[in-house]
Amino acid sequence: MDVLVLSIATLIGLYMAANIGANDLANAMGTSVGSGAITLNQAVLISMIANTLGAVLAGGYVTNTISKGLIDPTLLAGDPNKLMIGMFVALLSAGICVHLATLYGLPVSTTHAIVGAVVGFGIVSVGPGAVTWSKVLSIAASWVISPVAGAGIAGGMYFFAERRILSSDDPQRQSERYAPFLIFFVFLVLILSLIFKGLKNLHLEIGFFYTILLTIPCAAAAGAFGRFWIHRQMHPGGHVRAEQAGYSPVDRIFAQLQVLTACYIAFAHGANDVANAIGPLAAIFAVVKTKSVVLSVEVPFWMLFIGGIAVGGGLFAFGTRVMETIGKNITEMTPIRGFCAQFGAATTILVCSRLGFPVSTTHVLVGSVVGVGIMRGMGALDLRVLKNIGLSWIVTLPFTILLSMFLYKMLALFLL
Amino acid sequence: MRLLLSSLFLKSPFEGLQRHADKAKECAQLFKEAAVCHIQERCKAFDALTDRVARLESEADAIKRNIRNHLPRGILMPVDKFQFLQYVSEQDKVIDQVEAALYWLSFRPRGLPKAVAPDFLHLVDSVIPPVETLAELVRMAMDFFRSKSEDQRKKMKNLIQDIRQHEKEADLLEQELKGMAFRTIQDALVVFHTVRLVEIVGDIADHAQNASDRMRAMIAK
Repeated sequence: MDVLVLSIATLIGLYMAANIGANDLANAMGTSVGSGAITLNQAVLISMIANTLGAVLAGGYVTNTISKGLIDPTLLAGDPNKLMIGMFVALLSAGICVHLATLYGLPVSTTHAIVGAVVGFGIVSVGPGAVTWSKVLSIAASWVISPVAGAGIAGGMYFFAERRILSSDDPQRQSERYAPFLIFFVFLVLILSLIFKGLKNLHLEIGFFYTILLTIPCAAAAGAFGRFWIHRQMHPGGHVRAEQAGYSPVDRIFAQLQVLTACYIAFAHGANDVANAIGPLAAIFAVVKTKSVVLSVEVPFWMLFIGGIAVGGGLFAFGTRVMETIGKNITEMTPIRGFCAQFGAATTILVCSRLGFPVSTTHVLVGSVVGVGIMRGMGALDLRVLKNIGLSWIVTLPFTILLSMFLYKMLALFLL
Repeated sequence: MRLLLSSLFLKSPFEGLQRHADKAKECAQLFKEAAVCHIQERCKAFDALTDRVARLESEADAIKRNIRNHLPRGILMPVDKFQFLQYVSEQDKVIDQVEAALYWLSFRPRGLPKAVAPDFLHLVDSVIPPVETLAELVRMAMDFFRSKSEDQRKKMKNLIQDIRQHEKEADLLEQELKGMAFRTIQDALVVFHTVRLVEIVGDIADHAQNASDRMRAMIAK
């Protein structure tokens, strides 16, 4: 019986993960393809590797939040099967919601879907008191905060790039000058998140002071290497490289930087969104293994790894067409705009992930793109789409809450 | 499948503006050909040229409507939407005036009085470059709003200066021609026709300058 439950739960978890890859990750990587910084095949390869690394090295915090942060497990201590069925139902409800949304073309967030489903089962199994509403509220706040933060960081980055690089008398020289600093910042945030979260998964404890001591030289070394690399790229054989048709030297530099942010965003996505499928699965495995409601769900390394692979697989199997379409549609996305949007999005995702907020990658990225647009950096943006995003936030939660409640009642009739 | 991120992006309206500017340029070139033809006696191509301009004006109108209809509230652009729409309007008036000038020429099939004909051709010559420069200006604007290059902005400012200079010259020619019409033509009807025609042709440069001023506002820091 246990094997059957675990097998079905795993299949649904993998299905959820594949959906996340096909939608969220494809949207996130589409900007890189759209700007021409990387090809479609490179995007798939980068996402699969970086997303899996993100899930394995930095996915732990959010996974914990999804499985136990939203529901007080002590209220289910007398009946662990309730928690198991609840998490099973949560996965199924979120899976159905994402599937239906994909079918009918509704822009829902996989993160919102899983949060709603977990809350729904909590309400029906124990009562509204089982749900940690303060946690739900903090998550709801992050839905507003994360796009705004994404817009702020990306917009600020574009403002800086426009003032200091694009509008300067010699943009190429200025971009060569500032690129190492940008590389430094990208690596700084990336290494900090790795150390704060990744090494925690590897059970290495490093204090804040030592973390900073370790991070700054590493990021500085990356920046120094970046300077050398860019100089070599722009001045082959000591000569200034000639402008290629449709691709200015500044674009070329930022296209290379965007490869970095593409890895960065895929990593951030893995750290944050793999949890949507793996969190409930981890809770089910914990209940089956211990036959009790455990206070702390230890997410196994292999589960995060498989989750990361499944998200990458979903992108490979269903997301390539999505990315190709995005790439064709967003011709206004130049490498410098793409870099700013992705840098803003990835930084926001990693910070929110660090704080334990399961934010939606797509919505953060939308916020970042709008942030660049507000700084007059995009050709034409249709802000009316933001209404759809708001609507999806409103609709997804009640839908998954109700579906989860219904499915739980149905399953409880037969299994409890 | 609806793609959230790509649905956020719209096609840049500058592409439509470029096509509209190219139509204006084509109209201006045909206008010159038609004006030369009309002044020469027994020119048979005038009507055909007028028809071509009318067709181009109609196509340009369709482009203008398409641009306006696809810029509803809630569209975020790199420039002020009001300035952009004003630019479209001024560029469209350039084409309207070219068409109007040809119609006005056609109202007097015998051509212009010999005393004003050479200077009228000079006036026509002076209003063509600003329209041609507009097309170049829009092309550069498309690049500028992608690259935000200061060098490109300076080049655009120079082009705008050129348009102003051409408009100034056209204004002077317009005033001279009007004076000449009153001094040399005795028939009041012919004077009226000539003065009105000269004013319409002068308006071509005026609207081209107005458009360039809108562009200057759009690229302002």
